Amino acid sequence: MNCELKTKERTGVINPIFTCQPAGAQFASIGIKECIGIVHGGQGCVMFVRLLISQHFKESFEIASSSVHEDGAVFGALDRVEQAVDVLLMRYPDVKVIPIITTCSTEVIGDDVDGVVIKLQEELLDTKYAGREVHLIPIHCPSFVGSMISGYDTAVRDFVRYFAEKGEPNGRINLITGWVNPGDVTALKHLLSEMQIDATVLFEIESFDSPLMPDGNHVSHGNTTIADLKDTANAYGTIALNRYEGTKAAKYLEKEFGIPSIIGPTPVGIRNTDTFLKNLSRMTGKPVPESLVLERGRAIDALTDLTHMFLADKKVAIYGNPDLVIGLAEFCLDLEMKPKLLLLGDDNTAYAEDPRIRALQENVDYDMEIVMNADLWDLENRIINEGLELDLILGHSKGRFVAIDHNIPMVRVGFPTYDRAGLYRYPVVGYAGATWLAEQMANTLFADMEYKKSREWILNMW
Amino acid sequence: MADINEKIAQLENFIMKKCLWQFHSRAWDRKNQNENILRMTAELLCGETVNTEDPADRCYWVDAVYLADSYRERFDWLASMSKDEIRELFLALRERLDYVLVDGSLNEELTDPRY
Amino acid sequence: MPYHEFECSKCIPERKKHAVTKGPGEDLTHALPLGYLNTIPGSISERGCAYCGAKHVIGTPMKDVIHISHGPTGCTYDTWQTKRYISDNDNFQLKRTFATDVKEKHIVFGAEKVLKQNIIEAFKAFPDIKRMTIYQTCATALIGDDIDAIADEVMEEMPDVDIFVCNSPGFAGPSQSGGHHKINIAWINKKVGNVEPKITSDYVINYVGEYNIQGDQEIMLDFFRRMGIQVLSTFTGNGSYDDLRAMHRAHLNVLECARSAEYICNELRTRYGIPRLDIDGFGFEPLSSSLLKVGRFFGIEDRAQKIIDEETARWKPELDWYRERLLGKKVCLWPGGSKLWHWAHVIHEEMGLDVVSVYTKFGHQGDMEKGIARCEEGALAIDDPNELEGLEAMYKLKPDIIFTGKRPGEVAKKIRVPYLNAHAYHNGPYKGYEGWVRFARDIYNAIYSPIHQLSFLDISKDEIPDEGGFKTQRILSDNGLSEEVRKSNYMREYTGSLDIITPLREKTYPEFNKKP
Repeated sequence: MNCELKTKERTGVINPIFTCQPAGAQFASIGIKECIGIVHGGQGCVMFVRLLISQHFKESFEIASSSVHEDGAVFGALDRVEQAVDVLLMRYPDVKVIPIITTCSTEVIGDDVDGVVIKLQEELLDTKYAGREVHLIPIHCPSFVGSMISGYDTAVRDFVRYFAEKGEPNGRINLITGWVNPGDVTALKHLLSEMQIDATVLFEIESFDSPLMPDGNHVSHGNTTIADLKDTANAYGTIALNRYEGTKAAKYLEKEFGIPSIIGPTPVGIRNTDTFLKNLSRMTGKPVPESLVLERGRAIDALTDLTHMFLADKKVAIYGNPDLVIGLAEFCLDLEMKPKLLLLGDDNTAYAEDPRIRALQENVDYDMEIVMNADLWDLENRIINEGLELDLILGHSKGRFVAIDHNIPMVRVGFPTYDRAGLYRYPVVGYAGATWLAEQMANTLFADMEYKKSREWILNMW
Repeated sequence: MADINEKIAQLENFIMKKCLWQFHSRAWDRKNQNENILRMTAELLCGETVNTEDPADRCYWVDAVYLADSYRERFDWLASMSKDEIRELFLALRERLDYVLVDGSLNEELTDPRY
Repeated sequence: MPYHEFECSKCIPERKKHAVTKGPGEDLTHALPLGYLNTIPGSISERGCAYCGAKHVIGTPMKDVIHISHGPTGCTYDTWQTKRYISDNDNFQLKRTFATDVKEKHIVFGAEKVLKQNIIEAFKAFPDIKRMTIYQTCATALIGDDIDAIADEVMEEMPDVDIFVCNSPGFAGPSQSGGHHKINIAWINKKVGNVEPKITSDYVINYVGEYNIQGDQEIMLDFFRRMGIQVLSTFTGNGSYDDLRAMHRAHLNVLECARSAEYICNELRTRYGIPRLDIDGFGFEPLSSSLLKVGRFFGIEDRAQKIIDEETARWKPELDWYRERLLGKKVCLWPGGSKLWHWAHVIHEEMGLDVVSVYTKFGHQGDMEKGIARCEEGALAIDDPNELEGLEAMYKLKPDIIFTGKRPGEVAKKIRVPYLNAHAYHNGPYKGYEGWVRFARDIYNAIYSPIHQLSFLDISKDEIPDEGGFKTQRILSDNGLSEEVRKSNYMREYTGSLDIITPLREKTYPEFNKKP
């Protein structure tokens, strides 16, 4: 009876959990104000990612393509980058930050994007755009390495590395949230504010939830400024909440500017949020206030209504971003549930060294599998052909057919969650997130009970 | 409405709004479509029978029937025209369509030698 | 001046020839936008890639096939579940996507071995599926993997499977259209003629350029079946791989989307003498005349007329109900490639809409010719539009609604223009008579949405009206209507059900005996 860590046995991917690196870099780029990225590759690399992001948020975001066509593939396409930068700068007078995001095609043909950036700085920017603030940032993220997760991690590091500039200490900490939703950022900022801690939050994405106004065009965009990014060098500490989505940037700041960093934990659930607050307290010297004790109490009150009555022993499968998966698994265990299968969707070798995964391997006292380099067929195949029985699935919307076809209730979490309305407005982190998650899981189980007429009468008197 | 140009314009406008056969993607193909379908339409309007044994002919013919029927319904000036006048009209219409769709067309793909 | 220069594109003067305003008395020889040229980098164009055109648009609708992309997982992830092409094979092709997961080491050393393993694994995981299509991606095109050779090897070793290879990497062309062409030609070169079909009728067609979005194909299939016509294959919506290998045995190719599939029709005509008949499946009159043409080709136009009469009688009162309320409403018709001309004239005629602009993301000049021919004077026609131009056009033209893709629809929403999904529809299908009414209903509900009306009120500046607690679409739409129209006994709102496709799948059809 134990928790086994294994790797997917098949060579190929059937129903992938992640998309590729450029998507992660693009997602990071939209969090920055006055930033429009140029994806250097085929048009699909941008068009599909913009579609994916728009499915999740029901909003459109601005990202450009260098539109590599056949001649570029043969002869090299750096001239397309030059033209793209020029066209973008001419037509978007407010744009200041332009990451040049590579893709598999342009990495394979060997386009020297770093070189062309230097050339542009010396030529185009110095002549036609002299006096205009423009930051060209090469981000290398071919699709045949890692996944959207590592692409995001790389991009965050590249933005920080480009901008971080030593100045006066700013009395703030850096909070690198990882790949989260606007609702998560709101919850995190709330915790910081209750602790009276000033922070530079990477990234300020609350504004993704943009309004429909009676006039004007309030298109969605991020709010992290260049000044924010520069100032990361002047913090007195960095917390990167998601080990796989921000560590690179945190470590860079530590190495370059001596800023101490704490990596993790992903504050999903009560325990991890407690640890987050402890880390904040240690880093800043600020105490945990009474207001948060109250909030925590409210959350625990809500959870205890659910745990031993409904959630205990419920078997769960979880897939999605690795930190989220681990955080959810830990929370589910605290809630007396039984995560049976965790799917980590790419081949990152660091998973095997992750102390949280080690802890699961060492302490879980029933059969559980953690599969690395997994895909969604790993989940479905176990259901169809290997007798895996599940009470609940936690994962993103691309896996919806597994739930639908096998009549297993599913709570959508992570990215993307387009087949439910408005999920990005809610947190999964903090005490608010713990409450929301548990209540979502409960309500989903309740609806399923009623649909299947399985002890549905029990809810009459609860 | 004696002006032949006025009539051609009405016939042409109908084709442009309602038909697709005139928009194949190569010059030679368009000329071929124009020639066959308009010839057959004229024949039908003149009460002549069209040979539809060959599948290609039958395909032109179904478009021609649609045209002839639609024209008869919409343009009563056709009823008072003689067969010669109809043939002349349709020759002129074909010339006009060849011009708009091929010789005067700004579509640069029409002359692509590959299909 | 027919060419239209956008303010936001003055700095890229080459754009000027990509937009034209249809002037009074002008014809196609006066001005035609350029088309299908290389995209301007950095313009934030709406275009996608050639892999999309091949795999996503044309390949994946095939329902009994494993669709595997040879490359990193991103391409396959992005083209998975993102279209609404359903099938009567329990949507196998929507639910399952496959990738060979090419990694750095494969880029260096080649990925042919891993491809072969993948093929075998995929067939093993789904033993009921014996057909496969393999799509090249940018990465594997650049490293020069010989996918055809591997496919041939596997077919030798596993004689009951058949594999189609499509080499259409993302950069192979200025847009999706390059991919359409590649897969059309590859399919007819490699697969057509390999299977002899069972002929069950005297009247045999291929239905080409139809992708079964929300069940469009099944609506049309129902009409053909009611006429006793055998639809040998559909290219490719709800289509079967083996049926498509038998395309050479049809008497007629009925072509809807010429943009994506005229290539294979042209080749079938050249190689097998099968004539090509272009039709419109959208709109009462175009659909009726199309059914008549197909019927007439086979000498069974009476059967077509029966269907036309029944359907028109049933649904015209409902179409007209919406038409009365949509008269004069302005629409930007901004789809991908062919709906601009399928819809431009008929939505004006049959729904009273005023098409103020048409555009094409990846179409050719031929699509523009068709679109401009069919739209009214004053319409602005744009080729390969980009985001700023779209915004500028909407500000200038002030449409009441826009028909476009999901993400550009979000752009429109922000400036208070409701949108309908032109690619995947809202509550479709939109083909057929009932489908056309469903489209009208969606337009009506979008334009007369009480919430949408509320979006124009600035509660900090404007007078907040004392209007009570609610409005309905009818209160908003029936405002200026005559008493006669409002109280009409003949016209009525849509009375169909939510799902009109499932009942079709359970329907039985009359037997028409084959001629001896």
